[in-house]
Amino acid sequence: MNSGVKRTSVYKIVTMIILVILAILFAFPLYWIVTGAFKTAASINATTPDWFPKEWVMDNFKKLFSRQTAPLWELAVPFGSKFSADGKPIVFFAGPVVPAAIRWLVNTVFMSVMAMVLTCITAAMAGYALAKKRFRGQQLLFTLIVCAMALPKQVILIPLLREMSALSLYNTIWAVIFPTVGWPFGVFLMKQFSEGVPGEMLEAARIDGAGEAKTFIDIVLPMIKPGIGALAIFTFINSWNDYFMQLIMLNSTSKLTISLGIAKLQAENSTDFGLIMAGASLAAIPIIAIFIAFQKYFTQGIAMGAVKG
Amino acid sequence: MKKMSKKFLALGLSLIMVLSMAACGNSSDSQQPASQPAQESEPAKEETPEAAPSEDASDAEAESTGDAAGADQNASITLWTYPIGNWGDSATVDSLIASFNQQYPGISVTVEYLDYTNGDDQVNTAIEGGQAPDIVMEGPERLVANWGSRGLMVDLSDLFATEAGGEIYDSVESACKSPDGKYYEYPLCMVAHCMAINQTMFEAADAMQYLDAENHTWTTENFLKAVQAVYDSGQENVAAIYCSGQGGDQGTRAIINNLYSSTFTNAEHTAYTADTPENIKALETLYAQDGINFDASINGGEEITLFRNGTLAMSFCWNAAQQTNADNSAAGTTNNGDTILPMLFPSDDGKTELCGGIWGFGVFDNGDQAKIDAAKTFIDFICNNPDQVKESVKASTYFPVRPTLTGIYDGMEIADTMDVFSTYFMPSMGDYYQVVPGWAEARTEWWNMLQRIGTGGDVATEVSTFVTNANTAANAGN
Amino acid sequence: MAKSSNMTSRSKALVRRETRSAYLFLLPNMIFFIGFVIIPMILCIYTSFFDSTMGKDAKDVFIGFQNYIELWKDPIFVRSLKNTFVIVIVSVPVVCIFSLWVSALIYKLKGPILSTFRCVFYLPVVTGSVAVTVVWKWMFNNYYGIFNYVGKGLGLVDKNINWLGDEKYALWCIILILLTTSVGQPIVLYVSALGNVDTSLVEASEVDGATNLQQFWKIKWPLIMPTTLYILVITTINSFQCFALIQLLTSGGPNHSTDTVMYYIYYTAFKLYRYGYGNAMGVVLAIFIALLSAVQFKLAKEK
Repeated sequence: MNSGVKRTSVYKIVTMIILVILAILFAFPLYWIVTGAFKTAASINATTPDWFPKEWVMDNFKKLFSRQTAPLWELAVPFGSKFSADGKPIVFFAGPVVPAAIRWLVNTVFMSVMAMVLTCITAAMAGYALAKKRFRGQQLLFTLIVCAMALPKQVILIPLLREMSALSLYNTIWAVIFPTVGWPFGVFLMKQFSEGVPGEMLEAARIDGAGEAKTFIDIVLPMIKPGIGALAIFTFINSWNDYFMQLIMLNSTSKLTISLGIAKLQAENSTDFGLIMAGASLAAIPIIAIFIAFQKYFTQGIAMGAVKG
Repeated sequence: MKKMSKKFLALGLSLIMVLSMAACGNSSDSQQPASQPAQESEPAKEETPEAAPSEDASDAEAESTGDAAGADQNASITLWTYPIGNWGDSATVDSLIASFNQQYPGISVTVEYLDYTNGDDQVNTAIEGGQAPDIVMEGPERLVANWGSRGLMVDLSDLFATEAGGEIYDSVESACKSPDGKYYEYPLCMVAHCMAINQTMFEAADAMQYLDAENHTWTTENFLKAVQAVYDSGQENVAAIYCSGQGGDQGTRAIINNLYSSTFTNAEHTAYTADTPENIKALETLYAQDGINFDASINGGEEITLFRNGTLAMSFCWNAAQQTNADNSAAGTTNNGDTILPMLFPSDDGKTELCGGIWGFGVFDNGDQAKIDAAKTFIDFICNNPDQVKESVKASTYFPVRPTLTGIYDGMEIADTMDVFSTYFMPSMGDYYQVVPGWAEARTEWWNMLQRIGTGGDVATEVSTFVTNANTAANAGN
Repeated sequence: MAKSSNMTSRSKALVRRETRSAYLFLLPNMIFFIGFVIIPMILCIYTSFFDSTMGKDAKDVFIGFQNYIELWKDPIFVRSLKNTFVIVIVSVPVVCIFSLWVSALIYKLKGPILSTFRCVFYLPVVTGSVAVTVVWKWMFNNYYGIFNYVGKGLGLVDKNINWLGDEKYALWCIILILLTTSVGQPIVLYVSALGNVDTSLVEASEVDGATNLQQFWKIKWPLIMPTTLYILVITTINSFQCFALIQLLTSGGPNHSTDTVMYYIYYTAFKLYRYGYGNAMGVVLAIFIALLSAVQFKLAKEK
């Protein structure tokens, strides 16, 4: 008995040590990004790495911010370039000029939030209809959704590019947002959640004379709120991390996202790792700060996805 | 009450959505035009900042040296440049555009900077996206052999018909001409790509005896001896046959072709003929040589960095702009102060053929004549205006394409270095073969071939696969 | 479906109302789904029967199934298809097992310790794929990356290994990075699923003298099955979407050893200008994935 207890506690200690080592390994890339951003060029390229910067310098950030500039934001007349005299978009409200890297952050936040909001609204509505309504083509639609769920966007790369070009959306942030919203995972998730809404409640609301919209807003939405939370986080993180659609659809400096911006930094200064790490930490730190601040909601939201998924 | 507020919230949300949709729904580039440094203080005045007050226009017209008709051109064009010397640096390019705008205030030029890793993909997606740039700055292998041959570019014969255009070296002119007789590039500058060694390391390894430092030449035999000597002195990595992508691939082609004096294409520039016994021998020799690695994790630009930070003792991706580059350390030295000596590629017959680089401008046909005219005006100003062209060439740190342009670097610190290059390197400029049809595909096949050889593929087989694939692309392009 | 038996009792007007409202609810999403997924997919299938390239005067030439026939003769495509499935087949189970193992170890820990662990394992997800990729590229660097330094220091490697430039290692390096960015979400999910397992059931089994392992398989495993299925689905999606890693680290090299179909489509389109051929690849990949999803979904439904 005694030896058994000992064995379990030894086992526990060993696994704990392994776990801590793993955790350190997982945190290490981030540590390396942040410290790398503050290292001197000599330290970055040293064959014997400095585990901790001997000397903290801001050179890399200075370099990053002294590159191109862009206005912090720009509001323009839709499709203005189609009818403006010189073929340029008609911008009626532009923000102060800032280093382009800051603009990339603004673009990324706008893109992720927009994708998140649009996905949640449309997917909640569609998921509800799929789960609780009967209509012609339901089975077909659901099959399509399931089949398209894991489809990589690379598959439709060329047609999508041509389509965006035809819609004059190429090189706008919308060309990245719309396909994200169209991706059917959200609908699938929302359908699973909506199935948990009891039919009697819907029936009761109908008998009370509530309209479709009212039923949806007052009864369905509150019940699937946890699911929407999960979907919101999933979509936000996915579009923040997405890279491919941005690579294909965006090309001018003021339109880039932070992911694309770092990738471009890397291509231009392939081995200036200090500069690249400065860019990477600029991309990583805001979202990590958000994550740590709202960790509870994040983990709850994510976990919600599984309950019904 | 609660329901009401919810409704308002929904309404507000949808309103914001509609507004922001409208706000960002413009399709073309709305980047801050590089030509307007004054904008930094007045960012709100984004719309038509180039429509300068008319008195400015007339001033410029009065000042302009003859080409007054262009001064009232009104257009907004985009210029995409590859990092050609300082043409990849926004401060330099902004000042060039500022001087252009002094004379042509009605034409606004927006610049995007491309890199050699993803630049081509970026241009290609933009072409498919219907937003190709108006002007792109690169060499004939892209402008003529690739986009030009696909009918995407505008014929620039009229620029060659100018007085300045007539002075351009014949070899350069013919490189800019497509097989159907159209000119898809108007050249600005050129250089002969060479290699470089870390002289300090060579001295330490007693390897300087193998080369002629005065004339920057060496034989194949001595080159191999030198590599061995440096390797034996403890330098594990002497040189790298970099092949992660196409960046800087002229260097790998040049070392291989020169080693036993072979060629890459036929003299007519219609087919790839790299599968000669000499080339195969060269590849086998390089593969077997200690200290030379086929490295599929780096490209030319990364090789240069490794050379500069002392990891490698040699670079195959060198030229005048690299030699005069002082970003990280004094020009002509590595990061820790070792001396860099530019060298011709080794050759067994004593006659090195350097790969040339020719850079200039091409104009995409976006179907808008006003933009095409404005683009041509820009090119004419940058390349032909006697007051401007020297600055334009200087920005590239390469050499002019016209014999009448002399003394560009006079009085500058780099004048001596540039002199060395024009004396010892430019005369060895070889055939400009990068205009064979299917070039874009062929160079992709080239680095793939190097990767296969680097991972132990049979050299003769892999080279013949390369030639077959490259020629298939060449024939498809016809 | 609209004609199922229980509906006959209702009036036709009601059915029509229901159908109309269903379509209205679906409409906003369908604009995006049909507009930016289905239509491009149809165009993709259509173009895959043509020889299509870039160029002003380039006309698409109908060539029937030639692109598809060529695919199977293209060793690079076959290799990239293989790589794609290696990535998915390795990463999906490893992610599931690893995250389940970690979760089982940490879910009983005290609040702050638990959330620290969870947070750390989630970090690579929120760091952003490109930021993670560039730092790994640096760590894997042949000449001054930290892996070679540590490896040499510990005597694991005797000579610098060109991790990303060597066919033997490149794909595994990519899978390793993919794993670190994939386990965060499953761990969060498993921790909460395990935490939700009814303790009375576990206690009852303890009284019956069940071992830890028995307890796990007999009680916990069935209860966390829905979570496992969900994790399988999102991990599969994630693994198929891995593009940034490949484009930024190896561009498919060396010698196409890290090419996936997703990257090869991009390569074919913008380096070789063969749109029809690229689309044919897309169609083949889409068929494989649709089948896989259907199977997965069928399994999920049965459970």
